[in-house]
Amino acid sequence: MTKYIIRRLIHGAISIVIVVALVMILIYALMDRNLIFASDALYTKQNNNQKTTYKCQRWEEYGYIDYVTYSDWLTELVNTGEIDADKRTSLVSIGKTADADSDEVAEYVKAFTDTYKSKGYSVKRLDAVMLSKKKVADGGNQALFAYKDIPLYHRLITYFTKLIQVDNIHNVKEDIGERKLTFTLHDPAYGGEKFSPAIMGNGTTHKYLLYFDSKFPYIHQNIVTINLGVSYSVNTGVDVFNTMSKTQGAYLKSNVIYPTGAQELSADDVHTATYSAGSLNGLAINAGRYTDDYTNVLTVKNGRSRVGYSFVFGILSIILSYAIGLPIGLLMARHKDGLIDKIGTVYIVFIISVPSLAYIFLVKAIGGSLFHLPTTFNVEATTKLMFILPIISLSLRSIGNTMRWLRRFMIDQMNADYVKFARSGGLTENEIFTKHILKNASIPIIHGIPADILFALVGALITERVYAVPGAGGLLVEAIQKYDNAVIVGVTLFYAVLTVLSYILGDVLMAMVDPRISFSDEKR
Amino acid sequence: MDYNYEELGIPVEELFSPVDHNDLESEKITAPRYSYWHSVFRVFFKKKINIVILALLVVIILFAYIYPTIYPYDRFGNLMDSTSKHLSPGKAMAKFGHSLRWILGTGASGQSTFDAVWYGSRISISLAFVVAAINLTIGVLIGAVWGFSKKVDIIMVEVQNVIGNVPYELIISVLIMIFSSNFWTLVFAMTITGWLSIAAFIRTQVIIIRDREYNLASRCLGTSTTKIAMKNILPFMTSVIVTLLASVIPGYIGSEVFLAYIGMGLSDMSLGRLIFEAESAMVTPGWQFEFWSPVAISAIITVVLYVVGQNLGDASDPRTHM
Repeated sequence: MTKYIIRRLIHGAISIVIVVALVMILIYALMDRNLIFASDALYTKQNNNQKTTYKCQRWEEYGYIDYVTYSDWLTELVNTGEIDADKRTSLVSIGKTADADSDEVAEYVKAFTDTYKSKGYSVKRLDAVMLSKKKVADGGNQALFAYKDIPLYHRLITYFTKLIQVDNIHNVKEDIGERKLTFTLHDPAYGGEKFSPAIMGNGTTHKYLLYFDSKFPYIHQNIVTINLGVSYSVNTGVDVFNTMSKTQGAYLKSNVIYPTGAQELSADDVHTATYSAGSLNGLAINAGRYTDDYTNVLTVKNGRSRVGYSFVFGILSIILSYAIGLPIGLLMARHKDGLIDKIGTVYIVFIISVPSLAYIFLVKAIGGSLFHLPTTFNVEATTKLMFILPIISLSLRSIGNTMRWLRRFMIDQMNADYVKFARSGGLTENEIFTKHILKNASIPIIHGIPADILFALVGALITERVYAVPGAGGLLVEAIQKYDNAVIVGVTLFYAVLTVLSYILGDVLMAMVDPRISFSDEKR
Repeated sequence: MDYNYEELGIPVEELFSPVDHNDLESEKITAPRYSYWHSVFRVFFKKKINIVILALLVVIILFAYIYPTIYPYDRFGNLMDSTSKHLSPGKAMAKFGHSLRWILGTGASGQSTFDAVWYGSRISISLAFVVAAINLTIGVLIGAVWGFSKKVDIIMVEVQNVIGNVPYELIISVLIMIFSSNFWTLVFAMTITGWLSIAAFIRTQVIIIRDREYNLASRCLGTSTTKIAMKNILPFMTSVIVTLLASVIPGYIGSEVFLAYIGMGLSDMSLGRLIFEAESAMVTPGWQFEFWSPVAISAIITVVLYVVGQNLGDASDPRTHM
C-alpha cells in the first residue's frame, strides 16, 4: 500500500510539473505581453526612450525577460571590487549618441555589450531624442541596456527549486553579527516571564523559527516556507502564498510587546518578523520598537483569509449537502417510482440542467425579499445570518448530485444476490436498505469525499461574487484579468496539488472502508 | 386431368392451383419487421409528456432562429429616446403599442428585451450545438480507440491528468486574447480540451463492454476488430451517446453563461452576456424584467433540452423496446 501511494505521488508530482510548464507556456509565450500595459496609468504618461525602458522594467517584474541596464552592470562591478564608486560616476553617463562617448566610456560600453552578447542577451542602445540642438525631449534620455527572454526550462527550474525554502542562519547577506539559533523557554514577545518556548535566529530570514501563540494550531513554524513568487497586480508586492492565506478585514489591535520592551496597542504580529536590511535606522518609528533589523512584520486582522472563507463556506455546504442529499437519495431508492422519487427526479433535472448562475440569483432574490436574510457578505458584521444564503446556494447542486448518485448506486445494488439472500433470510426491507445496500452503495460516494473537502479550499467563483464573499474562488480569474502571472502559476499549482492529493486520498479511503479493494501489489 | 369447368358450372377462382415448390423459401423464418430508430421513436412518443416537451423545444428553437430574422435585434434603436429606457412590460406596451415585442419591457438603452432574449438564445443554442457536435465526434472516436488499445490507454491517462489540471478559464482567456472574442474563437476554446472528458467517459464505457462474453465469442469466431466495434459495441453505445449529448448541450449553454458572467465570454449579445450586463438591473425595483428574462429563458432552454435528451437516451436503449 505504501509503495503504491509513493508511486502515485511520484506520478502526480510529474504531472504537476508538466501542468506548471504548460501554464508557463500559455502565459509567457502565447499571451501578448503588451497587454499588461492596457490598464497601466503610468505607461501612458511615458514618452520616447523612457517608454521603452519602462516596458522592459515592467516585463522584468512580471517575469517575462531578464533586463540589465548599463548602470546596473557598473554597480555590480563596484560590488565585485573591479572599479570604485568614483570611477562608476564618471563612467555611468554615456553620450547622447555612440560617437559622443569619451574613450573610457566607449571602452566600458563595449565591454558591457560583449559580456551580455556572449551570454545570449540582446544589447540595445537608444540615442537621445532631441527637441532642439540642446534640449532633450521629454523622456528622451539616452539609454543602454541588455535583455533576454527567460527560457522555459530555466524559469521552470528556478520556480521549483525556490518553491520550498528552508530558513537557515546564512540567509541574510549583510553583516549581522554572530549568526546563531537561540532557544528560549520564555518568549520575549510575552514579556519574557510567561512560559512559552521559542526558537529564534540571527542571520535567518525569519526572527522566530518556532513559537507558540493562542491561535490554532498553537504551535507555528517559519523554518520551511512555501515561495510561490510575488503578486504584481492582484495584491501588489505581497507573496502569492500570503495572498491566499493572509487574514483580511479590519486591524485587530492588541497590546503588543516589542523587542525593546515597548508596549503599544497595535495590530503587528511580532512573531512574523522578517529581515529587512537597514530598516532599524531607516524609519524613526522602528528605533523605539525593535533592537535589530527584523522589523518587517505582518498584521493581524479580524477576518479570515481568502482560502479560509472559502473553506468555511465549502465545508458547511458539504455537510449540508450530505445531511440532506443522503437521506433523500435513500428514500428515493427505497420508494422507487413513488411520489418522493418523482419529486426528487424533477429537482435533480432542474438543478443539473439550469445554469448555476440562474438558481443562485433565484436563491438570492427569494432569500432577500421573502426571508429578509442578508444578501451581501460583510467581513465586519457579526451576524451569522449572512452565511445562510451563500451556503444554500453552494449546496443546492451538490445535494442534487448526492441524491442522484446514491439513488443510482442503490438501485444498481438492489438486484444483487446478497439482497435476495437477505430478503429470503427474513430481514425487513428497512434493514436491507439501511444496513446492507447503503453500505455497498456508499463506497463510490466515499471516494469523492476527500475531493469535496480539499476543493472547498478552492472556493466557488459565482457564489462568492454574487454574495461579495472575499474568498479564493475568484483569485484565478482576477489574476488572469490583471495579468498577474505569478498568481496564475501559483494558483494553478495549488489546484493541481489538490487534484492529485484528492484522487490518492479517495482511493486510500475507499480501500480502508471496503476490505475487498486493495492496491497492494502482493498476490492474494 | 382436364375438366371443362365452365360446363360443370364451377367458378375458376375457387379451385386450388398448384404452387411451385421452392426449397429456399421454405427455409425462411418470418418475424415482425424491426427497425431500430422506428422503435426508438415509438417508445419516445408513447410518453405524452415527451410530446409536450418536444413541442416546447421546437417552439423555442423556431423562435430563436426565425424571430430575430423578422425583428432584427437593434440594441441602440431607441438610444436617443430617454423615455424608453428600463420600462416595465406594462409601460413599454403603453408606449410602443400592444405587441409581442414589448411583452418583457425594455433594456438599458430602450431596446426590446424580448428581441434581445431571442437573439441571445440563437447565439447560445448555436454555440452549444456546434461545440457539442465537435466535442462528441472527436471524443467518441478517440474514446473508442482509447478504450480498445491498452498502449493508448497508458498515454491518454497521463494526458488527461495533465490537461485536466490546466485551468480551463486560463486556456479560454489566452485563446480569446490571441484571437478575438468572437463565436468561432469560443468554439475553438471550448473544444480544444473539451473533448477530453467525453473521450474519458466513452473509454470507460468501451472498457465495460469490450470484454463481455458476446464480444469474446465474436472474437473467437474470428470477427475483425472493426466489425466488433461497428456491429457489437457501437449499437450498445448509441443510448450512452444520446444521453451524454443530452447532458453536454445544456452544460455548454451553462458554461457560456458562466464565462460571460466572469467577463471572458463572447462580445456578441449571447444569453450569458445579457445576464452579465443586466446584473445591476436586478436590484433596481421595476427593472428586474431585463435581468430575469434571459435567466428564465436560459433555464427553460436547458431544462427542455436536458429532458428531451434524457428521454431520447432512455428510448434509444433497445432494452426498453419490448
